Amino acid sequence: MSNVKTAGGESDAMKKASTMSLVRAILPIVGLIVICILFNTLTGGRLLSNLSLALSQVYVIMIASTGVFFIMTMGGLDFSQGSIIGMASIVVCMLSKTSIPLAIIGGIATGAAIGAFNGYFYVYRKIKSFIVTICTMFLFRGLIKYLTTNAPVAGSAKLINYDSTALKVICTVLVVAIGFAAFRCTRFGTDLKAIGAGEKAAKFAGIRTDRMKFLIYVLAGAITGFAAFISVIKVGSVTSSGGNQLETQILIALVLGGMPISGGAKVRFENIIVGSLLFIILNSGLTMMGFSTQMLQLIEGVVFLVFVAVFADRESLSVIK
Amino acid sequence: MSDEIRLQVKHLCKSFGVTKAVQDVSFNVKKGSVHALIGENGSGKSTLTNMLTGIYSIDSGEFILDGKKIHPHNQVEANNEGVSIIVQELGTLSGLTVAENIFLGHEEQFVTLGFKNTNAMNKKANELLHQYGFDRIKASDMIDEYNFEDRKLVEIVKATYFHPKVVVIDETTTALSQEGREELYKHMERIKKEGGSVIFISHDLPEILDKSDMITVLRDGVYIDTVASADVTEDDLKKYMVGREMTGNYYRADYDEKVSDEVVLSVKNVAVPGQISNINFELHKGEILGFGGLSESGMHEIGKAIFGASFDREGSVTLEDGTEINDIPTAIKHSIAYTSKDRDNESIVKNQSIGENICLPSLDELAGPFGIQSDKKQNEFANKFAKEISVKMVNTKQFVSELSGGNKQKVVLARWIGKDSDIVVLDSPTRGIDIKVKQDIYQLMDRMRKSGKSIIMISEELMELIGMCDRIIIMKDGKISGQIDRGREITENTLIEMMV
Repeated sequence: MSNVKTAGGESDAMKKASTMSLVRAILPIVGLIVICILFNTLTGGRLLSNLSLALSQVYVIMIASTGVFFIMTMGGLDFSQGSIIGMASIVVCMLSKTSIPLAIIGGIATGAAIGAFNGYFYVYRKIKSFIVTICTMFLFRGLIKYLTTNAPVAGSAKLINYDSTALKVICTVLVVAIGFAAFRCTRFGTDLKAIGAGEKAAKFAGIRTDRMKFLIYVLAGAITGFAAFISVIKVGSVTSSGGNQLETQILIALVLGGMPISGGAKVRFENIIVGSLLFIILNSGLTMMGFSTQMLQLIEGVVFLVFVAVFADRESLSVIK
Repeated sequence: MSDEIRLQVKHLCKSFGVTKAVQDVSFNVKKGSVHALIGENGSGKSTLTNMLTGIYSIDSGEFILDGKKIHPHNQVEANNEGVSIIVQELGTLSGLTVAENIFLGHEEQFVTLGFKNTNAMNKKANELLHQYGFDRIKASDMIDEYNFEDRKLVEIVKATYFHPKVVVIDETTTALSQEGREELYKHMERIKKEGGSVIFISHDLPEILDKSDMITVLRDGVYIDTVASADVTEDDLKKYMVGREMTGNYYRADYDEKVSDEVVLSVKNVAVPGQISNINFELHKGEILGFGGLSESGMHEIGKAIFGASFDREGSVTLEDGTEINDIPTAIKHSIAYTSKDRDNESIVKNQSIGENICLPSLDELAGPFGIQSDKKQNEFANKFAKEISVKMVNTKQFVSELSGGNKQKVVLARWIGKDSDIVVLDSPTRGIDIKVKQDIYQLMDRMRKSGKSIIMISEELMELIGMCDRIIIMKDGKISGQIDRGREITENTLIEMMV
C-alpha cells in the first residue's frame, strides 16, 4: 500500500529486495549440495555410486523443463506436458518402424501440434492457460489410454540401440545450451520476461504478445515432443501411463530451482538445471532410503509447498496504490 | 469557515525504515473549511492523510478530532470516527455492485438474522445516487460496467453520504475531466456548508487557490507553513514547496513561430466503433498538436488509433513516406512513440527494472550480430537516457514499481527519447505529477519540437494545451468539434465553449 517513496525508502526497499534475490539465487544451489551430502550419508554412499542411474531420469525432465520454463517466464502454465510426451512417444514408436529420423520429426510435430492446440485456446479464445492445459491433459491422456487399450504401443527393435548415455547427454546439453543462448543473449528472453512482468505494457512497447504467446506453446510442445524420443529409447514401448505426471515433476523441478511461479523479470535460466538435478536427487535419495511411493509424494509435496512459499514473488501481485 | 477547530494534528511522525516520511508535523483544520495540503511528490501529504484514515499506523503524535483523540486502525474505523477518504487511483472494488461498494464495511445496517437484504441496500444506494444527481448510475449494476470517471463519482458518494466530519480528497481531480471536477467541487462546497472539513490534496495550484480556504505546505516530510489562500499567489506557493524561486518559463514562451508545412503524419477517416468517428487531421514537422475535450470525448482513443493499438480501427494513418500504420510494432519501427494515460498498465512494465523498461523498444538497435544482446551496451544505453532526463533513482537496476508517478513517467519518456522517435504521442503526460517534473516535461517537449520532432499532446488540462500547443483540436462525442491555432488571446473558456 505504500505510495510514499522517498530516496531513502527506495534504497531500503532495494536492500531488502537484493537480499531476497540473493536468497533466491543461492538457496537452490545450497539445497542441491546439502541434499547430495545428506542422502549420500543416509544411504551409506549408495547415492553417489549409483549416480549414473539416478541421472538417467534427469534428461527428459531437463529437456521438457526448458520449454515450460519459457511458458512460465511469460506468466503461463502448462499441465499438459505429461500427455504431450505420452502422445509423442506413441507417434515415435509407430514411426520408428519406418525410419528413426522420421520418428524424431514425428514426435516433435506431435508435440508442436498439441502445443498449438493449447496456444490457440489460450491466446485466441482467451481461456486461462492452466484451464486449457488441464483440459488437454485429460483429453490426450484419454487418447493415450485408448491407443494403448489392448497392448502397449511397441516401437521398432532398433530404438533400443540408440539408448546410450552419451547420446542423451549430448541431446540434453544441446537443447539446454540453445535455450540458454536464445534466452540470455537475444531479445527472445527479454521479450518473454516483459510479457510476464506486464503484458499490456509489453504490447505497447512493440512486442507482438499474442503471436509470441502462441509460438511459445508450440515451441514448448515441440521440445517435449523431442524429449519423447529420449524417453522412448529407454524401453522401446509406451504404456497407458507413459509420461504420467511429467507436468507436476517439471513444475516441482522448476520451483525447486528457484523459479518464481508468476514468472516475470526475476526468472533465471539456471533454474532449469539446478531444479531438475535437485528434483531427481531428492527422488532417487528418498527411493534408495526405502520410502514408499506414497511417502515420496507426501515428502515432495511438503518440499514443493515450502519452495513455492519462499520463491513466490508477492510484489508481482498487483500493487494497490 | 468558522474559527472553531475541527481537527488538530499534533507532532505527527512516521518513518519507513530509515526514511522519515513525516517529521513532527502539527497544524489545525477549522470547521467548515477546505484545507489544502500541498508539497511535491514524496513530501508526506499522502502519508499524513493515510495515517488519519487508518491506512498507515502512527509512529508518534496524535490526531484530535473535536477534542477527542482518534486512532483508527483501518478505513472502516476511520469512517466510524467521522473521517473518510477519496483516494488518488481507483478506490472502488471490481466485482462488487455499486451499492456494495458504497456500503462496504457498513453492511450491518442491512443485515437481519445474518441475511443481507440486498433490495434495501440497493434502494438506499439509489436514493443516495439520486440525491447526488448521479441518476445515470444504478445501484444494482456491477461497478465494472462504469468508467473511471463514474467510479470516482461512486467514491464521492461512498466517502460523503454519512456526513463525515473530515473528508480527505487525495489528488482526485487530476483523474477527472472538467465535468467530474465540477461535481467534486460542488460536494466540497456542500460538506463545508454542513460544517464538515475537507483536506484537499492537489498538484494543481490554481485549483488550490480557487477552492481552498487555508493551505498547509509540506516539504520532505517537514511542516513549512500554513497560510490563508487569499493572502498568497501561485508563485509564493511554488517557492514554499520547492524551497527556492522557480525560475524560467513554465510553458513555452514563443507565440509567433511559423510551423513547417511539411506533413509527417496524416490521419484520414479514422473511426473506432463506439469511440471515435470521422477523424481527419494532419501533423506537421516540429509541431505540437494538442487534443482537448471531456474525458469521454474520444480524445484518448485518438492516441491509441495513431499508434495502431485500437481494436477494430477503420480509416488510415499514413506517414510522410506513404507507410500505413496498422499495428504497434510497425508504428514503433517507423519512429512513432506513445505514452498512455494508464501509465501503470500500458506504459511501463511495472515489475521490471528501469533499465529493462528503457531498453525495451530499442532492443533491435542494441543487438549485435546474430541478434546477440550485450548487458554492457544495454546498461550504458539505459544510464545515458535515464540521466539525460534526470530520473530520480538509485540505479537502473531498480524496479519501476518502486518509483513515484513522476519518475515512472520520466522512465517512459527516456525510453522514447532513447528510441529517437520522430512522432511522439503523449496522452496526459503530466497527470498526477508535481510542478518540478511538469516543468521538466514541458521543457523537454519544447526541446524536442525545436529539434524537428512532432508531438501530439492529449490532455484534460486546458492550461497546458494552451501553454504548449501550436494548434489545439477539440473533441466532442467522438468527433472533432473545433480547432484553434496558438495565440495569446486563447483562454480556458474559449476551449470549454467548444467542448460542451
